[in-house]
Amino acid sequence: MSERTQNRTHVDDVDRSLYDFTYSEEGYERYDDGLTPDIVRAISQKKDEPEWMLNMRLAALDTYHAKEMAPNWGPSIAGLDMDHISTYVSPRTKQAKNWDDVPDDIKNTFERLGIPEAERESLAGVGAQYDSEIVYHNMREEVAKSGVIYTTIEDALHDPQWEPVVHEYFGTLIPPADHKFAALHYAVWSGGSFVYVPEGVTVEYPLQSYFRLNAEGAGQFEHTLIIVEKGADLHFIEGCSAPKYYEANLHAGAVELFVKDGARLRYSTIENWSKNMYNLNTKRARVGADAKMEWVSGSFGSHVSYLYPTTILAGDRGNCEFTGITFAGATQDLDTGCKVILNGANTTASVDTKSISKDGGCNTFRSSVVVGRRAANARCSVSCQSLMLDDISRSDTIPAMDVRNATASVGHEATIGRISDDTVLYLMSRGCSEAEARTMVVGGFANPVSKELPLEYAVEMNNLIKLEMEGAIG
Amino acid sequence: MAENSTATLSRVNTPPAQTWNYLRTNDITLQVPSVSRKGDVYFALPRLFEGIECGMGRQVTDWVESQAKDAHYVEVRAGEKREEPIVATMDTGVMVRAGAEATIVVCTGGNEDSESAAQSEALDASPQPATSAALVRIWAERDARVHVLEFVAADDDRQHLESVGIVAGDRARVDVRQFFLGARTTAAGLACSLDGANARFDLSCRYLGAGEERLDINHVVRMRGKNGRANVSESGVLDGHARKALRATIDLVHGSSGSEGTELENVLVLSDDVTNKTMPVILCDEDDVAGNHGATIGSVGPEQIGYLANRGLALEEIEALYVRALFDEAVLAAPTSAIRATVLARATTVLGEEVARDLVEGLGLDGTATEED
Repeated sequence: MSERTQNRTHVDDVDRSLYDFTYSEEGYERYDDGLTPDIVRAISQKKDEPEWMLNMRLAALDTYHAKEMAPNWGPSIAGLDMDHISTYVSPRTKQAKNWDDVPDDIKNTFERLGIPEAERESLAGVGAQYDSEIVYHNMREEVAKSGVIYTTIEDALHDPQWEPVVHEYFGTLIPPADHKFAALHYAVWSGGSFVYVPEGVTVEYPLQSYFRLNAEGAGQFEHTLIIVEKGADLHFIEGCSAPKYYEANLHAGAVELFVKDGARLRYSTIENWSKNMYNLNTKRARVGADAKMEWVSGSFGSHVSYLYPTTILAGDRGNCEFTGITFAGATQDLDTGCKVILNGANTTASVDTKSISKDGGCNTFRSSVVVGRRAANARCSVSCQSLMLDDISRSDTIPAMDVRNATASVGHEATIGRISDDTVLYLMSRGCSEAEARTMVVGGFANPVSKELPLEYAVEMNNLIKLEMEGAIG
Repeated sequence: MAENSTATLSRVNTPPAQTWNYLRTNDITLQVPSVSRKGDVYFALPRLFEGIECGMGRQVTDWVESQAKDAHYVEVRAGEKREEPIVATMDTGVMVRAGAEATIVVCTGGNEDSESAAQSEALDASPQPATSAALVRIWAERDARVHVLEFVAADDDRQHLESVGIVAGDRARVDVRQFFLGARTTAAGLACSLDGANARFDLSCRYLGAGEERLDINHVVRMRGKNGRANVSESGVLDGHARKALRATIDLVHGSSGSEGTELENVLVLSDDVTNKTMPVILCDEDDVAGNHGATIGSVGPEQIGYLANRGLALEEIEALYVRALFDEAVLAAPTSAIRATVLARATTVLGEEVARDLVEGLGLDGTATEED
């Protein structure tokens, strides 16, 4: 063994014991595996939807069957067989506003994940989805009094005040024909959140939705629709996890974010799906003039991920910040990144991402920055740093830039490498052990992302990375 | 009897890893002439050269081989330092043996009659615009030194394809200088595989896109041997309605421990009607390596404009300075007076006769081709 090999950093796998527990599906409503018009109609009928939504679902199903995956795209999803995925699984319970009204097994699940505690301490509202349906939804009274709406899409569709709003926005930012799995999403979507923040309202504490997929061989297709009106301000947190099975699970959610003029939205995600999950999620934000969109994204789980949150800076002087970290361990192939489209004049965007690969894990950072002809004086910088912790892992960086305005300025930089021996030596010369030195370096590498998260999520992230160097060298 | 028709080279010049197809950055599709050579004997390169990856890909290699009248094979003996440049034709293979040194030149100009050196062949029965092509495959054995110079300085009625493939052995050093100064469409691909340990590759690519010109460039560096070094530098100026796509990939293959690859592009955009696409890629399958890339895209900075404006230059003159600098560099790099004349002819078209003359005088050069070229 070479000296270099002996010096490799040992980082433990993500400790998944917190997430790898299951409860029986006995008594749950579970639709047949596969995709048929009858299943789509059954989901729509169960939700007692307006006709336009059913028509949209059926058209999307046709689109799904018609669309092919690009042959030159990212990690393989050959292991995903839709004929063995149930698109709707629901515990037989009604949505509750009090945790005491939630069935014990489901309540225990969310308590182990720390959701009720977080709600008590630092959140303005919580939505908890278990498999295909929201089982708990609540918001602080004072927030509700300010006119903020935080509910499920299903409930909004049954409210005469909000049904026209959902109809106006739903599926417009991510059209069903966007790609194959967007079409699938619109055919069988279930659950998710509808948030409306009125003009000028600042929501002091974050709202949070947590998505738990308990069922084996099932899919979760929640839809999140957030509208932040002019001058309003919101922080929305999304968390997700699932126990590990040996059968493929699928997550194909959609997130549509409308940030109006002068508004600000921060959207934080800690994604920790199990390693049998295909995470093919689509997120997109449309940002108005003088508005700000902030993404904070941590991707730790799933077997295969395709995840590229998109920001369209449509108005002048709009701003986007994307901060992300991806951790790929054994058996994981995570294809993540972001897209920014600068269409308004004087728009600005900055992208800062980190990735860590170990134990044969594969990370691909993919980005696109498109500067339109109207985007005079647009500015964008992209920074991508990748850390390789062994020689059986892989890290690729595939950015693309398309600039069509002479006054725009776009910069991109990326580095891939391992922990520098010089850095370790420097820290050791100041009294650190080698293990401590390496721990400090990796911790510092992830710090720019974790500091952007709310405290409890930063702690969760650090637990996820579980940088137990242990001095186990080689 | 030769039969003339056209063929489509579909989605060629592709990088090893691709981005979203809807961005239309991954490849280029070209209409090219196709002359049937059934019944002709084609004297191909030694079989060894078939294994060399070329920048524009297999489809273009097959097309050039089907269209070239003959392949041109040159061998530089071990230890020999060849002074005279090797002039590439449409299909050229160069074997640079251990410890040898050679310069290989590829040049395409605007007027076939004016070029006395380094011609890629203008194909018969070309669709509009006329098409020329050069396929160059180079094998650099251990300790070899190889210098490659590429000049594309054609007029707006030309479509040019240039595909280069290089393999470098232990401690081999390869440097490439590319000057893409004009043509209606320039599609150029270069792939270099650093197979040997301690091999080095330096690429400097300078380009100009103006008017309705289209540039499609694909650079691929495969770092396979240990302790390899690759430095890729691209810079250019885009004006008018020019469209440019540059794909640059550094592939740190498993086993290339100790290797370092760097890629940097600077683009000066002078018009709102320009389309500039850049895709700098690093693929990393090894931990004990370093891969870096950077790109900056923008216009002339306000500080630079202010500095030069204070010295009496108008904005157009300031921007013209950057274009002239490209030609300055190309003229200085030209290894023969014939190639220099080709570059100057293009400079005259782009910058005007007076500036071209000034350029020659300023550099103390002779702008005419001589017979020995």
